[in-house]
Amino acid sequence: MENSRRNASGRPKASGSDFEAEQENIQELGREVPVGSADYLAPKSLKKALEYRSRYGYKAVVIAGGTDIMVDYFERLSEVSSWLDLTKIQDLKEIKFGPEKIRLGSMVTHRKLATDSRIRENLPLLAESASEVGAWQIQSRGTLGGNIVTSSPAGDALAPLLAYQARFILGSVSGQREVAAEDFFTGPKENVMTQEELLIEVVIPTPREGTLSRWKKVGKRKAMIISSLTMALLLELDDKDEITAARAAYGAVAPRPIRATELEVYLTGRKLTEISAGKAGELAAQEISPITDIRGTVDFRCQVTRDITEQALLGFQQE
Amino acid sequence: MEITFTINNEKRSLEVSPHQRLLDIIRKDLGLTAAKEGCGKGECGACTVLFNGEPVASCLVLAPQADGAEILTVEGLISREGELHPLQQAFLDTGAVQCGFCIPGSIMTGYRLLQDNPEPKREEVRQALAGNICRCTGYQKIVDAVQLAASRMQSGGDSSWAQDL
Repeated sequence: MENSRRNASGRPKASGSDFEAEQENIQELGREVPVGSADYLAPKSLKKALEYRSRYGYKAVVIAGGTDIMVDYFERLSEVSSWLDLTKIQDLKEIKFGPEKIRLGSMVTHRKLATDSRIRENLPLLAESASEVGAWQIQSRGTLGGNIVTSSPAGDALAPLLAYQARFILGSVSGQREVAAEDFFTGPKENVMTQEELLIEVVIPTPREGTLSRWKKVGKRKAMIISSLTMALLLELDDKDEITAARAAYGAVAPRPIRATELEVYLTGRKLTEISAGKAGELAAQEISPITDIRGTVDFRCQVTRDITEQALLGFQQE
Repeated sequence: MEITFTINNEKRSLEVSPHQRLLDIIRKDLGLTAAKEGCGKGECGACTVLFNGEPVASCLVLAPQADGAEILTVEGLISREGELHPLQQAFLDTGAVQCGFCIPGSIMTGYRLLQDNPEPKREEVRQALAGNICRCTGYQKIVDAVQLAASRMQSGGDSSWAQDL
């Protein structure tokens, strides 16, 4: 839904009719690419997709649900020389529940995350955030992987993924590598992916029973809106109500989704009842580095971050 | 490139280019003009169609992505005998149609909602139709229409429609 022309990693510059430059580039790469004949690639297997990715790199625009990329290329679809469509790859749409890990294929849609009963039960932050992406029409098409690779700081899935300590499996023809969600995002619409790689899977350690979590999205409307800010707060408690682990993640308040580590340090090791919710809110507000844009000012984002953090902790204390 | 898909229960093959969107081929190539282009950016819902059973913004679907898909538009809701679907009739009866631009999209989302939830509460209708923006702001009557259709479809009979109002 971002209407931006900035290029993310994994997203090509629309090259237009710059055919010669393209040819030169291809020769440099030393690969044979049938330019002109491959304007739409829709492999059914991941293996084939990775082969195409290796051959075409940024020259082929990767499309999943299309809910961001089609907006980016609004009125200039003709500038795209090649598409690499991942929607036919069934393997990427699977969800696997293991005893220790939940594995989500990159092509799982927001709608699936929002409605799947086991996701709602085990990963409520992700299910709730998915249910607030755009509206039904966007959730039907938009994918978890697309949200991640687009890497907008306002991407709704990103704060939950940080709070759950998700890891991303990136694949290429030469193998796979695993990147922690926290290390993946490098800036607004920027990430560590190379032009040979595709995001294959998101791996999340199954949260322990009794984990407390709170998701909050703030936007100008209740639906069809890019977030002004998001929060995913997660606490693990022991049987004495002491916080053994705290993870506080925020979106749209910094160049990339962030964790408020000072706040986490403050919360960890304390009893839930001893926490000052007000102080927690102050700490969160100090750690963010927002900008003023059409979705909110710096002051607004700081105040709201403080307030929703405080409210979330008061909510936990009352439970 | 040629793609084959089913639209309103009819199998069609079409020559499309990767620069077209699903909305373009539905409206221009097939002449089914119920789905409208509002914003062209997936924000307004006027172009909503059912795509493999789910509501989508057809302006955000690349035409080649429709290969093998099943698509349903408002035109496909009308019976063979030319009778309106109860949901269409309810939109007329409640006065939910003002300028009409958002209605085909609203009906498709409403239609899909009633498949999952045959007796939706007001709030549930509002939630489901959150992606269908009506700039006449006729939301009350749109929600009325979906609920009226739901009750008519639940009772099964057509003869009681007038009384429901």
